[in-house]
Amino acid sequence: MNGTVKKRKAGVDGVKNFEYYKPKSLEEARELLLKYGEEASILNGGTDLIVRIHDGLSHPKAVIDIKGIEGLSEITYDEVDGLTIGACVTLNQMGENPVLLEKFRVLAEAGHTVGSCQVRNRATMAGNIANASPLADTATPLLALDAMVKVFGEEGETEVSIHDFFVWVRKTCLQVGDIVTGIRIPNYGSIEGIYQKHTRRNEVDLATVCATVIKIDGEVHIALGSVAPTPIRARKTEAFLKGKVLTEEVIEEAIEMVLGEIAPIGDIRASKDYREEIVKVLIRRGLRELIAAM
Amino acid sequence: MKRDVCFILNGEPVKASIEPHVTLLHMLREVFDLTGAKEGCGGGECGACTVLVNNKPMNACLILAVEADGLDILTVEGLSNGLELDELQQTFIDHAALQCGYCTPGMIMSAKALLMKNPTPTEDQVVKAISGNLCRCTGYKKIVEAVMDISNRNLGS
Ligand SMILES: Cc1cc2nc3c(=O)[nH]c(=O)nc-3n(C[C@H](O)[C@H](O)[C@H](O)COP(=O)(O)OP(=O)(O)OC[C@H]3O[C@@H](n4cnc5c(N)ncnc54)[C@H](O)[C@@H]3O)c2cc1C
Ligand code: FES
Ligand code: FES
Repeated sequence: MNGTVKKRKAGVDGVKNFEYYKPKSLEEARELLLKYGEEASILNGGTDLIVRIHDGLSHPKAVIDIKGIEGLSEITYDEVDGLTIGACVTLNQMGENPVLLEKFRVLAEAGHTVGSCQVRNRATMAGNIANASPLADTATPLLALDAMVKVFGEEGETEVSIHDFFVWVRKTCLQVGDIVTGIRIPNYGSIEGIYQKHTRRNEVDLATVCATVIKIDGEVHIALGSVAPTPIRARKTEAFLKGKVLTEEVIEEAIEMVLGEIAPIGDIRASKDYREEIVKVLIRRGLRELIAAM
Repeated sequence: MKRDVCFILNGEPVKASIEPHVTLLHMLREVFDLTGAKEGCGGGECGACTVLVNNKPMNACLILAVEADGLDILTVEGLSNGLELDELQQTFIDHAALQCGYCTPGMIMSAKALLMKNPTPTEDQVVKAISGNLCRCTGYKKIVEAVMDISNRNLGS
């Protein structure tokens, strides 16, 4: 023993060095990502990545900052394609977009529950889903809205359904070299309903359970987070609710069905039983909200 | 490999050559000797490192120094004019809105960002604006009062 005490230095400064690149085009970024393979990390808002590097959970050799790539920072809307949110648009920029607030309010509201104002000035929705946490706040509205993820990959730009995007805890369908360029929400006639996030503390906390319960053009869509390895849709319950009038009895039956579709675990935020109780509350409240909206 | 960064720091153009893994917070503190922004948690939770980037509050601990290239960065040191304190800083003192002072630069920068966007915020808006900043001493009441004092003054003028 030489008597030295191991102490982690504060800040990312204690970690191994890496190369930093800020490519100007998707092609250039992809080339770098392929060159470094698994040892490259895409840097967007950095609110997940920099924390992971700081905590010693990620050790990239190269960090590829995509914020210098043109065309990734815009929100566009048209009646045919719907709403497209560029990969580098921050959550606070989303919260200030008039079309998003008017037509896709549930998504803006979910984004607004992420972290703090400081975090939302950096964090992006692309980063939120690419990080693939089961509790990611923007995941359940995107699932409920049947969003499409735009990916620049081997075959140029393609779209993948959000339902195929999440594979497991922290695992997406993205391959080495793939870059999410944006997220597209199809245009709908009407969207009613709410996003709910249950947390231990009101501000700057991760969801114990979160849920989006909405009605799109008359059909109920239910998505839940932090109740399975990935955020999920409650398809059986949705099928059960199809064409039914939302009475209190129907709602109670739906709640029991939802419990059969989830597989929560116990962790530092809550026990399995507690999560199930909260799921009941969020679904009941969400469905009652739909009655009120009619 | 070190990289050159050029940016605006408290109104002045500056340059530095910095390793990519250094955070903006550490560059401000160690290269520019601006020790106003503090490291509380180093992970985005406490807001002690809050600075304004292009007038928006952000956690300097979650930004790489190399990312500052081309940006406009304002720290608490940029508020005063020499020894003359900015109105918000003076109001914090007048209201005794600090005890140990560790959270204060971050609180002031979050409040500053709000006041730059909205000179007459409501109490609710003030509380929201500082909700990403933790204070272990004052219990927030006096901090909110100090910012509301400015809001009320702006409303009156
Ligand atoms: C204090 C704090 C509080 C937080 N609170 C919440 C919360 O309440 N709810 C919540 O859901 N999250 C929370 N987070 C996590 C984080 O802020 C979000 O997940 C955020 O949306 C991540 O976006 P980003 O742009 O910062 O991602 P980054 O950190 O830049 O990237 C995250 C991951 O996605 C990959 N990635 C990013 N962009 C792309 C792309 N275009 N293509 C392919 N891969 C990409 C990166 O390589 C990385 O692996 C919090 C984080 C902090 C520090
Ligand atoms: S040190 Fe940056 S948020 Fe705590
Ligand atoms: S005054 Fe001590 S932490 Fe706020």
